[in-house]
Amino acid sequence: MQINDLENKALWLRQELWKMVMRKGKGHIPSAFSCVEILIALYYGGFAKVFPGEPKHPDRDRIIVSKGHAAIAQYPILADYGFFDKSELTEYTEPGGLLGMYADFRIPGIEGISGSLGHGVGMGAGYAWAARSNQSFHKSFVIVGDGECYEGSIWESAMFAAHHNLKNLIVIVDCNELCILGKTDELLSLGDLKSKWMSFGWEVASVNGHSFEELLRAFSKVDSKSKKPLVIIANTIKGSGISFMEGKAEWHNKIPGPDELSQGNAEQGIVEFE
Amino acid sequence: MLDNDPEKKKLMRDVVIDQIYNAATTDRNIVFISADFGAQSLDKFRNELPDQFIHAGISEQNMVDLSSGLSISGKQVFLYAMAPFITARCYEQIKCSLSAMNLPVTLIGVGVGLGYDHSTLTHFTPEDIACMRALNGIEILSPSDQKSAEVIAANAVTNPAFRYLRLERNAHDQIYNDEFIKCLDTGFYEISRGDRVAIVSYGALLHKVIAARDELKKAGLEVGVIDLYRVKRISVQKIFEYLSSYKSLLTVEEHILDGGFGGAVLEALADSGLQMKVKRLGLSDGFAVVNGDRDQLHKFYGVDTGDIISAVMELEKN
Repeated sequence: MQINDLENKALWLRQELWKMVMRKGKGHIPSAFSCVEILIALYYGGFAKVFPGEPKHPDRDRIIVSKGHAAIAQYPILADYGFFDKSELTEYTEPGGLLGMYADFRIPGIEGISGSLGHGVGMGAGYAWAARSNQSFHKSFVIVGDGECYEGSIWESAMFAAHHNLKNLIVIVDCNELCILGKTDELLSLGDLKSKWMSFGWEVASVNGHSFEELLRAFSKVDSKSKKPLVIIANTIKGSGISFMEGKAEWHNKIPGPDELSQGNAEQGIVEFE
Repeated sequence: MLDNDPEKKKLMRDVVIDQIYNAATTDRNIVFISADFGAQSLDKFRNELPDQFIHAGISEQNMVDLSSGLSISGKQVFLYAMAPFITARCYEQIKCSLSAMNLPVTLIGVGVGLGYDHSTLTHFTPEDIACMRALNGIEILSPSDQKSAEVIAANAVTNPAFRYLRLERNAHDQIYNDEFIKCLDTGFYEISRGDRVAIVSYGALLHKVIAARDELKKAGLEVGVIDLYRVKRISVQKIFEYLSSYKSLLTVEEHILDGGFGGAVLEALADSGLQMKVKRLGLSDGFAVVNGDRDQLHKFYGVDTGDIISAVMELEKN
């Protein structure tokens, strides 16, 4: 896909997510919106191997959204790839439905459970180690939040992946600088994430996480000659695309009221929806 | 007679790892991960099957998360560490990355209960049964000698499931012969039949229970002994078919009484619909941490042979 197409796809994903969450009044819009471009670049930018209609294809790349609040952002994409019926999107969070607020292993295309932070990198390292052991060429992409990097388990896994030269493991840190109670920098500084990952033995790229040009350039390093695993620090804006949510911690799990719904609709170019 | 030649008493961990090693030589999907915990038999595994061995570092959290990705990718994974560190230390990872996805990963914990006697509380697991049995879908097994460990390990290798193997740190006298295999389905073994009181126990304390039984026999009391080595899942119907002839039960555990082994037996008893008097021996809430060897600790916590005998005598009065 060309950059223009990817941008249209990103708009589509935000529209779908907005409708999904607003229909049911459940979900975390800002966390999902900060990684929209990351996911679109991955799924449609030509770097991750995805096989339409075949969620269990052995050669697929494993994509894990470890920051569970944003796992819902995968749902419209997975439906678009024909992994399940699009009608499931309107059934989101309904009793007996497939899709919940956090990703579940039962959902075709979801590679692991989410909702508790700090597990995805270790799991992705397991996929990556097994791929190499099985002489398979698939990769693991894991999206974590910067707030998630508070979890010690992330660094245990980072150390492991570097020692084993798991270059088939790619971590993308959705660095939106916010967690529930405010700015990470003010609450408990994460320090220089770039040097931290680098000191753990990772190849590090730092990009604007809303720029397809920069994301694609970073993803092109995946097959470089370096033996190291790659982490892409994607600097993002939490709530990106909804002006009143952007960079505002208090919107983490808040559902917009009627006026805000109209404004959000307008900003997303949505006329009306059921 | 069982052969209790000390030379032949291998450590449980060696017996178990040998079983895994034997299978791993022909099945390269078997992966063994250690969180910096060793065994003689593991040296052979590491040297001869380096591509199937991972040293996870002293990083139990990552070890468990890692195993989920490996397991989903078709690897049969065995995780190995000292018991306290492969249970409560990484409980969150076991819950989310294994239990929640019902992955057939085997956790092997060594030195259960008060096994690391002089190391005190950080190395004890007075809570591991309680916390692990609350995990959805897990099977918990506590062998008491090398034969039961061998049979349980062989079964874990051929029938992968989400399991926690609780291994003793030290070698114990042999209780079982090959007959043990017959009780794999039921999860318990009737060691002896008695008249009015039956003792239900497992692991290291099973040896003290047997010693108590022998002492009581000298006094003319026949006591039943059941090794409930699989505390989760208990075959409720089957075990109470064995126990229904008794008037009372004594459970003996090297574990805090809250939510532990005796608690699991009480739950099973309630589910069975039978009514029996039950007494539980174990560590009481508020127990003090003291130095001592394991026998001294058993005396201190009231789970030693003498305590078992007294508890049986008391139940006999009913």
